[in-house]
Amino acid sequence: MQMVIDILSWVLLVAGGVFMVISAFGVNRMPDVYARLHAASVADTLGAGLLIAGMMLQAGPTLVTAKLVMILAILFFSSPVAGHALARAALVAGVRPHVDHPEESGEACGPEFNVEAIPHETVREDVKLIPSLGGRRPASRKAAAEPKTAKPKTSKPTRTAAKPARKPAKKG
Amino acid sequence: MFVAATLAILVSLVLLVVRALKGPTVFDRLVAANSIGTAAILLLAVVGFLTGRPEFLDIGITYALLNLIGTLAVLKYFRFGDLAHSGGEEPED
Amino acid sequence: METFINMVLLTLLAVITIGVVRLRNLFAVIILGGIYSFLMASVLIVLDAVDVAMTEASVGAGISTVLMLTVLYMTRVEEAKPVHSPMLPLFVAGVTGAVLVYGTWGLPAFGLADTPLNNHVGMTYMDLSIPDTGIPNVVTSVLASYRGFDTLGETTVVFTAGIGVLLLLRRGVSVARLRRKQQEEESKS
Repeated sequence: MQMVIDILSWVLLVAGGVFMVISAFGVNRMPDVYARLHAASVADTLGAGLLIAGMMLQAGPTLVTAKLVMILAILFFSSPVAGHALARAALVAGVRPHVDHPEESGEACGPEFNVEAIPHETVREDVKLIPSLGGRRPASRKAAAEPKTAKPKTSKPTRTAAKPARKPAKKG
Repeated sequence: MFVAATLAILVSLVLLVVRALKGPTVFDRLVAANSIGTAAILLLAVVGFLTGRPEFLDIGITYALLNLIGTLAVLKYFRFGDLAHSGGEEPED
Repeated sequence: METFINMVLLTLLAVITIGVVRLRNLFAVIILGGIYSFLMASVLIVLDAVDVAMTEASVGAGISTVLMLTVLYMTRVEEAKPVHSPMLPLFVAGVTGAVLVYGTWGLPAFGLADTPLNNHVGMTYMDLSIPDTGIPNVVTSVLASYRGFDTLGETTVVFTAGIGVLLLLRRGVSVARLRRKQQEEESKS
């Protein structure tokens, strides 16, 4: 019986370790933030899940197993929250998703998606001002903010409208 | 068997630190930081088993919560530009 | 194995420190600081200093990230280029580091029996901890039982500080925002 448990936890631990390395490798190799998030989620689900399952088999029905279950539960709830918030904040800050054929996905995906330093002002353009300050936005900032917030909404109609008359892709 | 898992986690830590140092945007670094937090929790648990004293897993629970708080604090800053924002009024996008 | 883990983690810490020094974007520096704290806490866990690891993680990765971000809100994201040449600070830091390393040569070897650390009151605590308090961890018994009132005072101070930070963060209108608004109105008129 002990033998079976040992073999099982060997398999689980090694598989979990492999998934951890795959995830870290993906975070290094993927082209942009959104794809890297996708790679990073492997570690939070499969990597952590398999490793903790392997350790739970070794610990047996003790307090240690209960703690491991707690860690797993917190990870399962917190990592989607963090991932969702990350992707959303990146989109709001203006990081464009990297796509193979930018002309097919409309204006939403410009060719430039690397923003090294996101300065204060570009971030705050998308922020609604607190009403106690009057909710007034300076004219120059509003003008800069307008096209950015309007982009996702207009991108869909233009894409469907442009589809029949689409220019041939450069890459072919 | 815990040695193998420890080595795997260390390798992934090294790779993630490389991404955290390279990452062109702040968000790349945050992805790496979040994953490093997860890897640190798992390393803590595995090392506990490796040394035969798996009682310190409570700290792993604390790490998981702190990891979430740290990530969300940075993201809230980007989203609202202010940590004191109540988050009640969502900016339209 | 533990030595190997520590070597890898400490190498990563050194690499991150170099990255922090070289980066000019302060957001990235804050995030790297959080990573540094997590790795440092892992080193402390491997060294069996669990309470220190707990403090390092909660202070380094938790509260200081939040406080740094609050500070960043009032300053700029990009670090300014230094005006003076870094030679003098580098020299001072190098000399201090050399003196500290020289000082470690005077320390007794790890776990030596005839050091003051192991001859003074330390052993008394080791002997009396279990019969007196029944707590298996000696550090915990000293902190929570022998020095209980001291720890209670510390906790009170930390709790008060936490309430103060909460009150400061909960202001509806931040000072920086008001100041920026004032500047904008001044520049308009």
